[in-house]
Amino acid sequence: MATAVQTPEEAKGIRGRGSSALLTTALIFPAGLWYVLLLVAPLIIVTIFSFGNRAKNGGYEAAFTFDNYVRLLTQTQRMEPFFTSLWMAVAGTIGCLLVGLPLAYFIATRTTRHKGLFILLLVIPFWTSFLIRTYAWLIVLGRENVGGFIGSLIGDADFRILGTPAAVLVGLVYGYLPLMVFPLYVTLERMDRTLVEASKDLGAGRWATFRQITLPIALPGLITGSILVFIPMMGEYVIPQILGYGRTFLVGNALVDAFVQTRNWPFGSAMAVLLILVMLITITFYVWFVNRGRHGREVSVL
Amino acid sequence: MADNLDDILRRAADTKVPRRSFLAAAGLLGGSAALAACSTGSTGGATTAPAASGAASAGASAGTDASASPAGDVEKQLFMYNWSDYTSPKNIDAFKAKFGVEKFQYDTYANNEELLAKLQAGASGYDIAAPTAEYVPSMVEGGYIQKLDWSRIPNQKYINAAFKGLAWDPNDEYQLPKDFGTTGILYRSKVVKEPVTTWQEFYDLIVGKYSGKTVFVDSMGDIFVMPLKMLGKSINSVEPADLDAARDILLKLAPHILALDSDTYQDKLASEEAVLCLGWTGPIVELRENPDTADIAYSVPTDGTLFWLDTWVMLNDAPNPNAAYAFLNFIHEPEVQAEETNFNGYGTPNDEAKKFIDPEILNDPVFFPPEDAMANLEGAVDTSSNEQRIDIWQEFKSAIGG
Repeated sequence: MATAVQTPEEAKGIRGRGSSALLTTALIFPAGLWYVLLLVAPLIIVTIFSFGNRAKNGGYEAAFTFDNYVRLLTQTQRMEPFFTSLWMAVAGTIGCLLVGLPLAYFIATRTTRHKGLFILLLVIPFWTSFLIRTYAWLIVLGRENVGGFIGSLIGDADFRILGTPAAVLVGLVYGYLPLMVFPLYVTLERMDRTLVEASKDLGAGRWATFRQITLPIALPGLITGSILVFIPMMGEYVIPQILGYGRTFLVGNALVDAFVQTRNWPFGSAMAVLLILVMLITITFYVWFVNRGRHGREVSVL
Repeated sequence: MADNLDDILRRAADTKVPRRSFLAAAGLLGGSAALAACSTGSTGGATTAPAASGAASAGASAGTDASASPAGDVEKQLFMYNWSDYTSPKNIDAFKAKFGVEKFQYDTYANNEELLAKLQAGASGYDIAAPTAEYVPSMVEGGYIQKLDWSRIPNQKYINAAFKGLAWDPNDEYQLPKDFGTTGILYRSKVVKEPVTTWQEFYDLIVGKYSGKTVFVDSMGDIFVMPLKMLGKSINSVEPADLDAARDILLKLAPHILALDSDTYQDKLASEEAVLCLGWTGPIVELRENPDTADIAYSVPTDGTLFWLDTWVMLNDAPNPNAAYAFLNFIHEPEVQAEETNFNGYGTPNDEAKKFIDPEILNDPVFFPPEDAMANLEGAVDTSSNEQRIDIWQEFKSAIGG
């Protein structure tokens, strides 16, 4: 495990390879360019836009005003999508965790040959378009299949899953599950199995072993995975549109409305900035929460 | 189940892009084969139309040379930017033959925003385009399109007066009406036996017998039509009192709505999950072709509704202005225009052309609203900047889920 403090020898070694600094720069350059052009620059533009006015025919007009933020923060109907998104993303992340952790553990404890097979099975759905897979859920959850089946069980002919938050949740968990499984798998795969045996030898039960051995080891993967699924879920647009029948109104949908239907780019930008802030705060709180009392433990976030 | 999915995919691939649907239009999913297929126009017409994209810029530089030829001479080429399957390939061939045009480039966009974005990005290399009239004012303001010389489009005399002097182009300087259509009520006539000729009747059915079986298109401008017309107001009203009353109606409707959906509402109608729909005419022809869904019916509410109008415009930097004028006049020849309607299934504003249109189409409210409804049609002006409307719209959307 790498320590934060470099030994003098290590530091000297890096300086000694100064001639390769140019090569390092050259190799980092594409990623750096990507980062600046596609992340930093758009963020700056969005932030600038969020202080502007809507042009007469829609779009952006330069200005410096806080109106967009004031409207956003003071009107309940504007804030509602944020709250809906927040609880959907939290529920979706928990869902991914409940499904993903046992799955990752299962795959990580197979023999090498089988591991490859299971990982492949997990990846294969990605060969099909996300949209097509989401459409497929329309059929699976539809009234002729799962939806109708549950309806007949509880004796309600009008029972529906599609068009409810439950359908959106199923879609979210399905769509982002692999992003949760892979980081968990990577951490669990490196786990020393003898630790589990030692725990059992020392008299710990299954739950105690899981809580004191497996979970702490899986924690870095768990944090990474949670963040990887939480962020896109917060901005999700397609799943609520298709499986939620447009009835579950998330921030992503509100953003599309702002940019396409009302063509109010500055207001949409303000929403986007607020969304980023909400995510930052949530994730910071989350990382702090799972790490509290674990000073000194190395945690890789991304 | 496999049949089912197959069916959906086939339909997705065959369907014309819903004219104002964002999901399909933006292609924001990049990898989706089905959507990519339909946005480049996979339905027959485009395969015969010279729709190879990408050659536009190359053509544009060649076009500059052509425009140096004496005024009045029709250039050998024309670059058109249009919705997919919106101009008959037969007419294109006839135009090429008549005017000796060798290269007719037909590129497509999936929504007005895409067209606007291309123009905003600078020289497009196109001669003509067909935006929805609502977008013409911003195109004028941006300086992207030029005034038309009507002396060079004599056939404009056939255009019905109802489509002239509209708010989008009050002095008829920039736009030549192309096709129009309405927002109205789609319903499954084998289920819905009650009359749905007015918005009030529609409202009573939604909150009553067919609660939870109605789908609305996800479009602010279209949804406001219903409450405002029930109140006897203009669809474009921005009077706070009118909008407050409209809000009450919308919030009463909200719990009874099955879905807000501009992309797959035809599927919900086909499966009878929804039997009523506030929507557009686009999917009707296709639903009729299937015997199971042939009972789909369309009603243009007699108490008034919205009509949209697509218009021909000429771009400011049109490299082939003479060919463009030749085409704009040619396309409004009555017989040519009739072929357009027969091909694309949208109503023509050209009165003379109606003589050559299949009577079945002519009497079909999907294409041509009946006289009583026609009199109450109203063009939508851009009210998307009205804060009160936006607030109500957001509230309505949240209320539907809750």
